[in-house]
Amino acid sequence: MGENKKNIFIYLAAVIFSLVLIFLAMFIGSSQINSADITAYIINSKAVSASTAIIIGEIRLPRIILAFIVGAGLAVAGAVFQAIIRNPMVDPYIIGISAGAGTGVMLALFLGIEITIFNLNSLPAFAFLGAVLTVFTVYQLARVGNKLPVLTFLLAGVAVSFILNSLMSFLMVLRTENLQQLVYWLMGSLAGTAWSDVRMILPYFLTALAVIVFYLKDLNILLLGEESAAHLGLNVERTKIILLGAASLMTASVVSVSGSIGFIGLVVPHIARMTIGPDHRRLIPLAALFGASFLLIADTAARTIMAPMELPVGIITALAGGPYFIYLLRNKSKNIW
Amino acid sequence: MLKTDKIKFSYAQEKILKGIDLEIEAGAFIGIIGPNASGKSTLLKNMSKTLKSDSGSIYLEHKLLNDYNSLELAKKMAVVPQNTEVNFNFNVYDIIMMGRHPYQKRWSGLSQKDKKIVKEVMEVTDTLKLKRKLINELSGGEKQRVIIARALAQKPDILMLDEPTSSLDINYQGEIYDLLDYLNQEFNLTIITVSHDLNLTAQYCEELLLLKEGKIFAAGPATEVLTEKNIKAVYNAEVIIRTNPLSEKPFVTLIPEVNRMKKRKQKDFKIHVIAGGGTAKNWLYKLENLGYQLSIGILNIGDADWQAAKELGIEMVEAPPFIDISEKEIQKNKKLIQKADLIILSDLPFGHGNLANLEVLLNYPDKTKILFSNLDIKKRDYIKGKAEKIWNELLEEDENIYLLKEKDNLISKIKKLEN
Repeated sequence: MGENKKNIFIYLAAVIFSLVLIFLAMFIGSSQINSADITAYIINSKAVSASTAIIIGEIRLPRIILAFIVGAGLAVAGAVFQAIIRNPMVDPYIIGISAGAGTGVMLALFLGIEITIFNLNSLPAFAFLGAVLTVFTVYQLARVGNKLPVLTFLLAGVAVSFILNSLMSFLMVLRTENLQQLVYWLMGSLAGTAWSDVRMILPYFLTALAVIVFYLKDLNILLLGEESAAHLGLNVERTKIILLGAASLMTASVVSVSGSIGFIGLVVPHIARMTIGPDHRRLIPLAALFGASFLLIADTAARTIMAPMELPVGIITALAGGPYFIYLLRNKSKNIW
Repeated sequence: MLKTDKIKFSYAQEKILKGIDLEIEAGAFIGIIGPNASGKSTLLKNMSKTLKSDSGSIYLEHKLLNDYNSLELAKKMAVVPQNTEVNFNFNVYDIIMMGRHPYQKRWSGLSQKDKKIVKEVMEVTDTLKLKRKLINELSGGEKQRVIIARALAQKPDILMLDEPTSSLDINYQGEIYDLLDYLNQEFNLTIITVSHDLNLTAQYCEELLLLKEGKIFAAGPATEVLTEKNIKAVYNAEVIIRTNPLSEKPFVTLIPEVNRMKKRKQKDFKIHVIAGGGTAKNWLYKLENLGYQLSIGILNIGDADWQAAKELGIEMVEAPPFIDISEKEIQKNKKLIQKADLIILSDLPFGHGNLANLEVLLNYPDKTKILFSNLDIKKRDYIKGKAEKIWNELLEEDENIYLLKEKDNLISKIKKLEN
């Protein structure tokens, strides 16, 4: 029972922490808005002046929500990948998904394709296409018989990433007119977020999330090793493919609006695992909350540290996540799970 | 319970299983043995549907294995694979509870039945005290017990284990097999293990299955399967089979390669030893190491000298214990003596059974002999002076006899005679 109480406490703390963060992030920014106005806005959006309402409702709030979704998505996708590959060193970056999604988006931008179908923006679709193609390629390259050795999977991912990154560089050279924008996108940035971005990725994000939540228990079984999982009655190959697909979709959807924000998918699942243990039914929601909070802090820092200039948030996440990961390696190289 | 019909399997071009026919009864405890690449793990993987046979069929309770879906199968059959490395930190209870997976619906919580069964299997495997521990805090033996507990939580009729003790220290090896034995006896659980450890398998499994190059070479109880001939044929190894005095199961000892290598550097000096009752075992090794060509006879099977001679691979005439030496064996012994340059008679006691070993010396007055005389012949004579009489006859008529009072001088004496 003690364990349950502890877990409830952890969740309660994480939720309260996130809410406080959202509240704080709302009045940090280049124009001063006092907390009374924000409270008033939360209760009734008509109660404040029009400009304040726009700053809060159209600029800060969508960005906060998007940071939340992107952070949560990267962390959840990272945790899923780590479980499927059974290796704590995996994140959507290392196996080339982000590069794939990025290349998809760049190609779409380059070719000027931006079609809206049924109110769904096609950019995430391109990102998704790029991501799925990359995963498929990496999977096929790494596969030996019907097995997927971790090492070859990682190496294939790194190799494919390199190729795609050079392809992206090439596209950038060809299209010099909005280079800065592209560079920002590559470094990862949430600058200029509008509600349309949130609306754009939400369907993909929610679909992927629903699939992952549906398979939470299977993720635990997968961690026992594929052979053991199969003997427990799990259809391993099918589960792996569905989950890889869902995690790719999730990564692709967030990458399509935020660009490549690093280290969240790698480090946040670790922190969550150390906090609450490896059971995915508890781990995934906590990783989502942690990832969301982490990106929100990083993004708030990105838009205030050098205000009015914006830093790409990817720089900050990498700066914070990198050293932490090195610390992990040095301290817990044996027992990193 | 489980039946295989001519199953064949190949990895790429290489044929691993070349037609295996098996029938395993419910409640059996089968040990599959065989050298590396003989197909023992592959056979287990075929029987557990991890690998699909190229041809032939496998039946589980009269139903084709392929007709079971994975959840159905998980309720009938549990498998402990070779690599059970759990490199993430679940606690013991959670790991074992995962064994209930085939019975749980996706969204249902833990039922009372799940909890009850998990508690039961934890009691049986003695893992209850580890309940809240993390898997990576456990010793190898504890970890393996947890994995077995998880398999049992599946409530299987048949349990398969691939090398269940290969990474364990010797104390844990026995512990795991004791547990399997208990499960087999107490719950009539059908158990199939694959192991390269012949002695552990022989000790515990009711029946052994010896594979060679993808075929069954021998099957049956340990005493029938583990014979020197079979091991030689399958492993190409010289072994000696003894009997474990506690369990009366066969026990395999490898004859060290060194001893066989030495043979090639042998001296051209042949010694025939007449001994018994462990009177020669201490110096047989020395003589062997010095490169003398040894023969020995007639020894009772199972005698301490017999075991030593077996391990050293010395040419030997053997006889069943507790009955008089037969004429046939005496003739064989004579053949060996004829070839010898020197005969050594140890300080063995004489009785009805082995008097022939002393008598035989009367036939070779021309051969050089060393007779141990550190113990008075009277004290070693258990047949009312018969042995003493022959002894004295030998000493009187034979001029080629050297009596040896000090055992320690044996080697130097032989060296003198050799030149």
